[in-house]
Amino acid sequence: MDWNCTLTEERLSDLLDASLLPDEAAAYSAHAVGCARCAKLVAQVGGLVTRMQRSALVEEPPALVGKILDATLGPRKQTRVSPGWSGWLSAIWQPRFAMGLVTAAASLVIVAHALGSAAGKSGMNPVNLVRGANRQAHLTYAHGVKFVNDLRVVYEIQSRLSSQPESFSEPISVPAAKPSLKPEPGQEQQQPSNDPHEKSQTVPHSIRRDARAVVELAVMLPDSFSENWQTGALRRNP
Amino acid sequence: MEPDAQLVQLCLRGDGPSWEELVRRHTRRVFNLCYRFTGNSSSAEDLSQEVFLRVFRTLPSYQSSQGAFPTWLTSVTRNLLVDHYRRTRRDRITDSIDDAMPQLEERQSPARTPDKLALASELSAQLQRGLARLSPELREAVILRDLQGLDYGEIRTVLQIPEGTVKSRINRGRIELARILEEMGVRPA
Repeated sequence: MDWNCTLTEERLSDLLDASLLPDEAAAYSAHAVGCARCAKLVAQVGGLVTRMQRSALVEEPPALVGKILDATLGPRKQTRVSPGWSGWLSAIWQPRFAMGLVTAAASLVIVAHALGSAAGKSGMNPVNLVRGANRQAHLTYAHGVKFVNDLRVVYEIQSRLSSQPESFSEPISVPAAKPSLKPEPGQEQQQPSNDPHEKSQTVPHSIRRDARAVVELAVMLPDSFSENWQTGALRRNP
Repeated sequence: MEPDAQLVQLCLRGDGPSWEELVRRHTRRVFNLCYRFTGNSSSAEDLSQEVFLRVFRTLPSYQSSQGAFPTWLTSVTRNLLVDHYRRTRRDRITDSIDDAMPQLEERQSPARTPDKLALASELSAQLQRGLARLSPELREAVILRDLQGLDYGEIRTVLQIPEGTVKSRINRGRIELARILEEMGVRPA
């Protein structure tokens, strides 16, 4: 069998795979002895194939499998495993965390010591502590009650003032006024009187209305508020 | 029945863990094929996800009588790589192949010294650059044969071409690659 350079290229895979028939292999060997080009080509390609087949698979990125599963099956639940006591201990045993704990403990000791020296022995007596707490609770309760009562009064004043226009829309009857000031026909017109009751009729209607509202409100006020208010008023106008 | 075929059957019944097992088994193989072909780790990662998405959707169309699951998976991967190659043809014209070309990771033996590792790494980089200069038809044939380890029958199934054409492409690809490496001053191992 004759062998040539074209056949070497065409049958290169069979040559490298050693799958040539015996007579073909013998023909190539005879040709390669005298053909440096074919010998070089087979050696070159054989080395290349060996190198490529030696190449290991490249490792895929670690997150690739997860991405594929997320894309196909949907996002997976993140399973978080409880660390347990050993996990907590190992976390606490870290130098930074231990240093922080020591610092915090030292701060607490300093604060406690300062509080103890300032309060003295009587301040730290349990009986005094209970009495103080009891007193504080009662004071707080009393303040709350007073605040609620004051609020009620304020709301009452507001509601009264807002409802006054309707209740005072009718004419005010003045007891001190004379039954009729209008002169009878043929009578002389009377001179203005010096009677204060008569002067009061000249006070503007709005002032009289407000005064009456305050009087009515004072009747409704709680006793304590009225007393305080009167006392304050007396103090301001002795 | 081989394990892959059993897993596929379970997947078709909606078994999630079986799908996860199937993905874990074949991710590296798919990623490597994409990586060798594109020469870019990021693109290979994206393409690998696309491959498994497509496999997930088209798994009912797989029939074990037509071939082993890895061969079918390689066919899906190869078709997607061809699509990707056509899509990115315009980008590649302006890109420099020598930029950021990844290196093939050679198998490390305990006896290797750092110097030898560095040399192997450099040779791998040159090999990858040589692969990138092959035409896609020759490149895929060489990758499937010499880097993925498929036999001629499997490559024929994947590429949908006669076995004679497979051998011819592998031959031409190897010779062309050897010539390119020689031009680059790389000596065979």
